Amino acid sequence: MAGDIILGYDGSDGSKAALAVAVAVAHAFDAPLSIVFGYEPNPMGGETADYKAKLEKIGEEMVAGALAAAAAIDSSVRTESLVVPLRPVESLLEAALERQARVIVVGGTGERPIVGAILGSVPHKLLYRSDVPVLVVPAGDE
Amino acid sequence: MAVTTGQVGVSSVPEESSGKGLKVGALSMISSLVIGVASTAPAYSLAATLGFVAAYVGVYSPAVMLVAFVPMLFIAAAYYYLNRADPDCGTTFTWVTRAIGPRTGWLAGWGILVTDLVVMPNLASIAGVYTFHLFGAHGIANNSSGFWVTFVGVIWLIIMTAICYIGIELSARTQMALLGAEIVILFVFAIVALAKVYAGHPAHSIRPSIEWLNPFNVHPIGALTAGMLLAVFIYWGWDTAVTVNEEAKDTRRTPGRAALWSTLVLLLIYVVVSAAAQSVHGVGFLTNGNNIDDSLNALGSAVFGSPWNKLLIICVLTSASSSTQTTILPAARSSLSMAVHKAFPKRFADIHPKYLSPGFSTLMFGAISIVWYVGLDLLSPGDILANSIEALGFGIAFYYGMTGFACVFYYRKHLFKSVKNFIFIGLAPFIGALILTVLFVIAIFYYSDPVNSASGTQAWFPFIHFNFTFLHQHFYVKKGLGPPLVLGIGFLLIGVPLMLIWKIRNKSFFQRDREVAESVDSPAPPLTPGVIPLRD
Repeated sequence: MAGDIILGYDGSDGSKAALAVAVAVAHAFDAPLSIVFGYEPNPMGGETADYKAKLEKIGEEMVAGALAAAAAIDSSVRTESLVVPLRPVESLLEAALERQARVIVVGGTGERPIVGAILGSVPHKLLYRSDVPVLVVPAGDE
Repeated sequence: MAVTTGQVGVSSVPEESSGKGLKVGALSMISSLVIGVASTAPAYSLAATLGFVAAYVGVYSPAVMLVAFVPMLFIAAAYYYLNRADPDCGTTFTWVTRAIGPRTGWLAGWGILVTDLVVMPNLASIAGVYTFHLFGAHGIANNSSGFWVTFVGVIWLIIMTAICYIGIELSARTQMALLGAEIVILFVFAIVALAKVYAGHPAHSIRPSIEWLNPFNVHPIGALTAGMLLAVFIYWGWDTAVTVNEEAKDTRRTPGRAALWSTLVLLLIYVVVSAAAQSVHGVGFLTNGNNIDDSLNALGSAVFGSPWNKLLIICVLTSASSSTQTTILPAARSSLSMAVHKAFPKRFADIHPKYLSPGFSTLMFGAISIVWYVGLDLLSPGDILANSIEALGFGIAFYYGMTGFACVFYYRKHLFKSVKNFIFIGLAPFIGALILTVLFVIAIFYYSDPVNSASGTQAWFPFIHFNFTFLHQHFYVKKGLGPPLVLGIGFLLIGVPLMLIWKIRNKSFFQRDREVAESVDSPAPPLTPGVIPLRD
């Protein structure tokens, strides 16, 4: 069955706004919500194992916060968290493939469009590469 | 793949879909090959050293390129085995701290940082010079200490620091394409150059000779040493080929094969290109004042003509860009690791919450690099490229040498358990470290006389003078020291008082005992208990 709602979460304002929407979507579909945090140190710099471990810890704290926030919004939604050692876009695509995702929800970057285009924003890349629908949630006027 | 559990059960995302097992192995082999060769940055390394190596050893550059690989290969064995025990991003810092002790470890970490710092003016300068060559502004490019080259160099450093800070990465495919283009262009250059030599006899051209591969033709030993130290630099970064892909699925074979292939590629490039380069118009063409610090540009025009010479210029620039990144990233990670283990101020351990880079470390390294680049430009106008590249050898020899010795010390209980252990964990790292130590010592005496450095005319600290004989070489210095020696050794020595000051303020890091490996395969316990959870 078409399954999870995948949420990309990195603690930014956009991803917080996306969290609220993702919970509502998960509730509407009665589908489990997977909260994904992806990270990967640039392999060009040599050894990274301990640096990676540190990023993993940051990721775990981040998704733990997101799980709590999701439960506070709507405790009836089943949630789980994934900390994936791949670049953010790759980790969302992998998780979507693995979970046969119904939709990937991400926050808008909140950056000006040109900055996003130069730096390569996550939603932008997802729109081109994802096989499942992508829902981009604007960060709001904070 | 690490997956944390939420409120639902345990689950995991597979690394790659397992159906394409073979392809995954092949890809990771190629990507570690790409990382190894791109980190070594052949086009930039040649652009930075070709003229200077030729100035020391004449037509024997190919021989020097060949023999300089020996210590590199041996030290790579040390990297491989130490990385297996402790894949810490502090590398030499953590390994030497474990094997030899915290004070030496601290100095080794300092060695990495200052060596990375010393190369930055060279990278920035080459980037500036070749950018102007690319747009045909040769007049501006030829003044490597001029305002405009420095201006572009500083912008280059700012952009590269920002790229590392924000964590922008090229996709594996793009990296592969850029590196592929770099290698192809260098070989095409060599082939065209040799074809011209045999077909058309350009002015002062010389035909390649097998004697060019014999290092024993180089006299005196000081010149060979200076050439070797420069040539060690061209392989600098290659060790990542053996350490980077520890997580690849087929770990038993991938790093080894990637290292082997990248070795062959690099050796071929360096030997063939250096031979071809001096064939075209002779050694004098490489070493004359106009060409010595941007020889690849001069050669590009001579061999390819316009506009094809732009290809060579572009490939020096892309190569310099990957080299700048592979200098900033490990430097920032070394200071991150030192801070994590309480050997450096705490802020250096900060990780940027959004970009996930070692933010403070990266910005500090970038800022200090810019200050040092502009500073060196003011200190040694006109000789910035020569002085920075020659000083670099000291730092590399120091911390690579320390890595070799650390490997032997750390595995000392296991060296005699098998022939394989003895050769790869004992003998090779030890000989590699020994060669580097000898180079280091001889180079001190050689560069002590300013006449022996490429900049020649500059002498720093003119109140110093001495006169004695060492290794049958007569050392006589009238006045002052060569800038490469002052820079190379000076930066390393600054570490000693800094280490002592840090030791007074923060005792905890220095209160540890030496460690010895429990077995060749077992991972080491955390260096600082509880600080970083080392996985697998």
